[in-house]
Amino acid sequence: MGQTRRKFLNFLLSITGIGALGAILYPVFSYLVPPKIAEANVNSVKVGKVMHFPPDSSKILKFGREPVIVVRDKQGEFHALSAVCTHLQCIVQFRTDKESIWCACHNGLYDLKGRNISGPPPKPLKEFKVNIVNDELIISKMG
Amino acid sequence: MKKLIVMLNIILFLVLANSVFSQTQNKKNVVQTKNSCLTCHKEDDNMPDDYNPNNVHASVGLNCVDCHGGDSTSDDEDIAMSKAKGFVGAPEKTEIPQFCGKCHSNINYMRKYNPRAETDQVSQYYTSVHGKQLKKGDENVAACTDCHTAHSIFKVNNPQSTVYALNVPGTCNKCHGDAKLISKYKLNPNIYEEYSNSVHGIALLKNKDTGAPACNDCHGNHGAMPPGVNSIANVCGLCHVNNLKYFEASKMGKAFKEEDYHGCEECHGNHGIKKPTDDFIGVSDKAVCINCHDEGEDGYIVAETIHGELKKLTSMYDSAKVKLSEVKKIGMDDVDISFILKDVHQSIIKARTKVHTFDTVQVAKVVNTGLKTAFKAIKKADDEISDYHTRTNGFGIATGIFLILIILIYLKLKTIEKKQ
Repeated sequence: MGQTRRKFLNFLLSITGIGALGAILYPVFSYLVPPKIAEANVNSVKVGKVMHFPPDSSKILKFGREPVIVVRDKQGEFHALSAVCTHLQCIVQFRTDKESIWCACHNGLYDLKGRNISGPPPKPLKEFKVNIVNDELIISKMG
Repeated sequence: MKKLIVMLNIILFLVLANSVFSQTQNKKNVVQTKNSCLTCHKEDDNMPDDYNPNNVHASVGLNCVDCHGGDSTSDDEDIAMSKAKGFVGAPEKTEIPQFCGKCHSNINYMRKYNPRAETDQVSQYYTSVHGKQLKKGDENVAACTDCHTAHSIFKVNNPQSTVYALNVPGTCNKCHGDAKLISKYKLNPNIYEEYSNSVHGIALLKNKDTGAPACNDCHGNHGAMPPGVNSIANVCGLCHVNNLKYFEASKMGKAFKEEDYHGCEECHGNHGIKKPTDDFIGVSDKAVCINCHDEGEDGYIVAETIHGELKKLTSMYDSAKVKLSEVKKIGMDDVDISFILKDVHQSIIKARTKVHTFDTVQVAKVVNTGLKTAFKAIKKADDEISDYHTRTNGFGIATGIFLILIILIYLKLKTIEKKQ
């Protein structure tokens, strides 16, 4: 009877020992292989190769929680601005015919520096820094 | 030779000193030009009620005589206010536009103060209802000073100005809210109240959004007129560009034109325009469509279908928002979901704008894009919530295992002790 009890205790100890080892190793493993979650505070984002942005085109990209519009003007110069209109927070777009950033909600217009030039927007769009490193476009927060 | 050089130096010094002295004197003269008008009118307590010493004219160095004529350097009232010195005094009401126009219609004069100044205000004014009535001798209508004041004029972008965006409705309401006065012209005296409770009025007066339209943005400034049937849609379309574009290209837009209907105003109203909800289109009591379309008509069916499409998308958006708040509450990553939901919100705006096509296919196309995006957001939120449960359950199981392990070790030790 005593031996059976001892055997059962040893068995339980082995099982829980393995479980405890797993409970210790799992967080270590999770730390080494992090899940695919975005960082809460983003300071810069790689947005792709320069060749993917032909002149006179634009793309709206994710910068943390914020949509950012990256515009390459006719001269090939890059501009990165917050894509959220400062009037009623609609998403803006690049108008090649006007060479400006346009908000369709209330006809607000911004120049490529983000300055509000006509319509109801009360202030400019936030500007982001654009850097090209090894032919890759990186946008980052100003200052 | 030396004497000559000394003499020349002394002469040069005197010339320079004189030049500096006279320049200082000139500056003093500009700054301290005598203004006997103010001195006497203040002494007699006879200043204009609306006089503000910081008004735009005073700030550029103009004084009373620049508008009223006369000689402000003389202390003698008879000389200062003599016709010989050009004194004209206060103009009659019907003379006010020309009185102000002496300078404001003269580009050569105005250029001194502002090279970009517009000088067509007076000619525009005479095209307005106010100007036409004044020309007929009606002194009840607004002339320059009724809107701008006479002695407290500020630039339009100065919040002190009576024509600063936030102050425009109040300025117009001085006359247009005067029931006794305005009833003579068979106009509605409650426009200010209606406007204040409208989507535009709330944005401007309550939320201080200077981009929201005030009276002048639809009616014009100096050439103020009620917009005609053909221009109402264009007025609204200045800001609501796509709404107008879709409406004009729609079957409804063409029918409105043929029937000479008032475009936007027929459904949305004018001064008391409310923020339209999704119930605005459809066949419920709140919908405007049923004012013209009876059950069984094509228009009735279209209204019902479009309403259904909008509701589908907004319900899905609301569900996704609930999921997002759940994710936030449990402290999981909400960045991607928030970003995706911005896209869904944009789809809702697009769908609501597409309503003006009155085309169920076009609306449904935008709604379906929005629905797909909303599903994506909900899926991500579900993943986050499930991840959270995996973590909490895992933590619970691990704690349990450790607890059992401790108990088992305790029992094992006891057994070893007993054995010994």
